[in-house]
Amino acid sequence: MAKYFDAIIVGAGPAGSMAAIKLARAGLNVCLLERGKYPGAKNMFGGLLHNTPVLNEMLPSFWERAPLERHVYKKVLAFMTDDSAVCLTFENENFEKPPYNGYTVFRPVFDSWLAAEAVKEGALLLCDCTAEGLIVKDGRVIGVIVKGREGELRGNIVIAADGVLSFMAEKAGLRRDFRTRDMGVGIKLLLGLPEAVINERFHLVRDEGADISFLGATDGIRGGSFLYTNRESISVGMVLHLDSLKATGKTPYDVLDGLLQHPQVRKLVKGAVPLEYSAHLIPEGGIRAMPKLYTDGMMVVGDAAGLCYTNGLNLEGINLAMTSGVLAAETAIHALDAGDYSARMLSLYKKKLDDSFVIKDMKTFKNAVGMMHMERLSQAYPRVLAGILENIYRVEGKPRSKLLHLARREALKEIGLKGLVSDGIKIGRALL
Amino acid sequence: MNIENLPQLTQFQVDEQPHIVVDKEVCRSCDHRACVQTCPANCYTWDEENKLLSIVYETCLECGTCYVTCDKGALDWSYPRGGYGVCYRLT
Repeated sequence: MAKYFDAIIVGAGPAGSMAAIKLARAGLNVCLLERGKYPGAKNMFGGLLHNTPVLNEMLPSFWERAPLERHVYKKVLAFMTDDSAVCLTFENENFEKPPYNGYTVFRPVFDSWLAAEAVKEGALLLCDCTAEGLIVKDGRVIGVIVKGREGELRGNIVIAADGVLSFMAEKAGLRRDFRTRDMGVGIKLLLGLPEAVINERFHLVRDEGADISFLGATDGIRGGSFLYTNRESISVGMVLHLDSLKATGKTPYDVLDGLLQHPQVRKLVKGAVPLEYSAHLIPEGGIRAMPKLYTDGMMVVGDAAGLCYTNGLNLEGINLAMTSGVLAAETAIHALDAGDYSARMLSLYKKKLDDSFVIKDMKTFKNAVGMMHMERLSQAYPRVLAGILENIYRVEGKPRSKLLHLARREALKEIGLKGLVSDGIKIGRALL
Repeated sequence: MNIENLPQLTQFQVDEQPHIVVDKEVCRSCDHRACVQTCPANCYTWDEENKLLSIVYETCLECGTCYVTCDKGALDWSYPRGGYGVCYRLT
């Protein structure tokens, strides 16, 4: 086996495999390292592969060949209190045609497929290989030390696509220690249900899928919950901010159990059979918590680069990851052409990323991080909404109030004037 | 939900060498033991009688929650050797 490569990519997730496809297509000698038995064996997400232009460009009509579950047709935002759910449902025929707006996928299945595409292009995929350290010479990263199949791999460029905990970025001195406030833990239970039951229960036909985001129902812990429909299963889980989880003293699985027992959720999961339980960290610190993206001989992509954001309405990561992988690969091709692997050359990657929707969106929603840290967001506000609606709909022979009066009363009861003003500023800065 | 049953749903390739080692002395004086509470796989147990923290690394989901919530430097945390550890099939 040749142990010298043009590029070594650590991690055969979406970012790593997209980088590998791009580099291998350019005729370069690429090694793709994966610590699992197969790509995706260590990977978990909520369940939604977003529409990603670079994926459509590099693998045209991929949706006809890739192992996808359902395309997402129905979006639901549900504000949850202990005993009620206020749901905003959006169904759109424009989400019914390719390229679809998003797909539910199983990561071990999809990631394996994507890595296999890289292998078809000529990349060398080595599974069972945990990257343990970097080989650094004269301040430049020149290779990777592998645990498992003990050995060293050397190359001109290393692309760290090793996920949220990125020990490669740490070893290269590119990231700080993690803070609990910048991290969320995602936990998920995959539940089996017959296809016909899912279609009936969620009002879906053919390959249509539903994406339900719940705000609230996290037992007082900051975060949110989700439910995605796969073909013959549903993914139910939540993301909990680590600082909040730690402060409340609750255990993640008890909080998840609470969601499953919620009266409105219980009906959705009724009769389902638990198939798999998983957990993974999510970088939730936004653009300010990102590591440095490059150094001499190395670039960092995907979750490893902290490329992930949520503003309460959008939850994006996998599309940012794949895009960053391709941009790092483009930079690597340029660097290899020039024979220059210096940090100055690789800074082109950051420039490309800055010019793309990836960093632009993370900048646009940089203040959403603060909004998502509002304690009241997942508790008091759903109660205000539910309180207003209960007042509107309840019929009990008492004189009614007009809407504004009703809303003011509920909001002042739950939040108070001072809170409303300060939250209004935070929400305004984040979203408006 | 019974946490006892959850690990049985997930597949593991157990290595004989642990990938997380705890410094039991440090844990003895820890004031929060967030690892016990925040681990989604319930891998940590605190034995109050013997003042002993123990870990079952065999059902670790390798999420890194303990790695981030432990602020005492008590964990020697690394990924398992290649091919070992959690092995998701679907999820």
